[in-house]
Amino acid sequence: MILLPRGNPVKENVNPGKVNLPDALDKLRQGQFTGYLRFEFTDGTGIFIFQSGRLISALYETPRDNLIAYDAIARTFQEAIRGDGRLDIYRLSPALAFSIHALLHGEVLHRGQDLQLIDIRSLLTRMRDEQRSGCLRIYSHEHIALIFYRDGKPLGFFHDGSTDIETTADTSMSVARQPGAKVDVLVTRGDTEKLLADLMETANIAGLWGKAVSERQRQREEQENAVSRTLEIREGERRQKTLAFFQKAAQQYLGKIGASLVEKEFDRLKLNGASLSDAQLAGFYDNLARAAKMVAGPSKIEQMLDEMKNGARALLKGP
Amino acid sequence: MGSSMHLALAVFWLIAGGVSFYFSIGNARVWTSIAVGFFLILVGEILPTALPFLPGLNDGYVLAMGHIIGTISILVMSHGFQEYYVFTRTLDFEGSKLFVYLSVIGVICASMVFLLINPEPTPEVRRVIRIVGNTNWVFLSLINIDLIRKIYINIQDTPISKGFIAFMVVFACIFLWKGSELYLDVYNLEAIKGSFPIRYQISTICSLAGNLLASISVGATFLYLAKLLR
Repeated sequence: MILLPRGNPVKENVNPGKVNLPDALDKLRQGQFTGYLRFEFTDGTGIFIFQSGRLISALYETPRDNLIAYDAIARTFQEAIRGDGRLDIYRLSPALAFSIHALLHGEVLHRGQDLQLIDIRSLLTRMRDEQRSGCLRIYSHEHIALIFYRDGKPLGFFHDGSTDIETTADTSMSVARQPGAKVDVLVTRGDTEKLLADLMETANIAGLWGKAVSERQRQREEQENAVSRTLEIREGERRQKTLAFFQKAAQQYLGKIGASLVEKEFDRLKLNGASLSDAQLAGFYDNLARAAKMVAGPSKIEQMLDEMKNGARALLKGP
Repeated sequence: MGSSMHLALAVFWLIAGGVSFYFSIGNARVWTSIAVGFFLILVGEILPTALPFLPGLNDGYVLAMGHIIGTISILVMSHGFQEYYVFTRTLDFEGSKLFVYLSVIGVICASMVFLLINPEPTPEVRRVIRIVGNTNWVFLSLINIDLIRKIYINIQDTPISKGFIAFMVVFACIFLWKGSELYLDVYNLEAIKGSFPIRYQISTICSLAGNLLASISVGATFLYLAKLLR
């Protein structure tokens, strides 16, 4: 779970499976968008950070591993195509976008420290003394606030609904006062802003998307094949049960030749893996009755068919 | 005594023929061949010989036709049993009742045409036709007994199986009847009965007894089959 405060919402709760992401990213690029895209999936969370239309950062985090850059984009595309995710887009100021990038790629010094147990004053003193750059992420169940530092000096505050770093600490402090509030201490190394490349220029976004689409198609086909195989197996078992039941009934009324007649008429249905339909069974009963007339009278044939029809209804009614 | 016996035979064959023809209507197609075959015995052989008051009794064409229909009769029923045997082995059966009826009528008509375009059959010609017919009856009866035994083995646990044992009895009686007639005709014992009275007597008695038993067993068998196939 990547904890970031919500900036100024542009779009919220969009299904990324219904969006052509390369097109959407291109529009953001052309619109000189600054902010971040947050993808929430059952498997993990993806963050794409834009700064003035440049995709400066991509991160995909799961409980098991973290992917960055192209791998993160590819994985985000793969998950998005599944259609069960959520996309939120928030606008930020360029400086804040970079800070969030630095934050996401920085080192976690302390994670999940309970604010009621930690000596926050000595923590801040240490940040100043060690001239750390980074941020304190303070969060409760409902809200998040970030306090950014550069070279040991506090730069400002960022919280839900902000688009830029603010100088007032009210909201951040109110989060810190909420029950169960915790703090993460994240540090970054140096100013890497100038080195950041535009991932949309260096990555083959359309290619990654195409690969994800193909992969999804392949998975879907595999799933469909698996479902089809399962259905086929189930139908096969049902047919075998029905055949065995019919043969038993025929043997009871017509002797061994009855069981053989059932097998022959069953073969003539040429089911080829298809399920038994009422129309096919009606034809089967007619043909069997005609053949059975060679060895038995109408009353016995009628009794046999009644038993078969009742049994078939019970067998074919099941799931 | 002789005419009473012939009258009794006629009655029994009438019953047997009626039952078998009725049976041919309401059952599977293969039974049509078998039942029509037995019905033809009545038409082709019994009526002309058993009922002296029938018109045309002394007509050579009618008598020859009777023998030919008798031959058609055993061929049709043998074909029926063969089809039944094939069914018990392959479970395949085909054809229609109408086709059987029309085919039999067609063969009878063709035989009539054959007779009519040739000179009137003399007693000697009729004897030859009778020998041909009886030979068919004798050997096909034996073959049918074996065929029916095999059919019985294949379907012995079906409702109808015991009916085939009855057919074996029927063909045993027919073998006795037709075998005696063949013997009488081959040696022309009628002409030389004075020289061989015992052989003639035994053969004649065997023929009549076989005929009587066959007529009774045919009727009884079809009634029994009708009961089994209810």
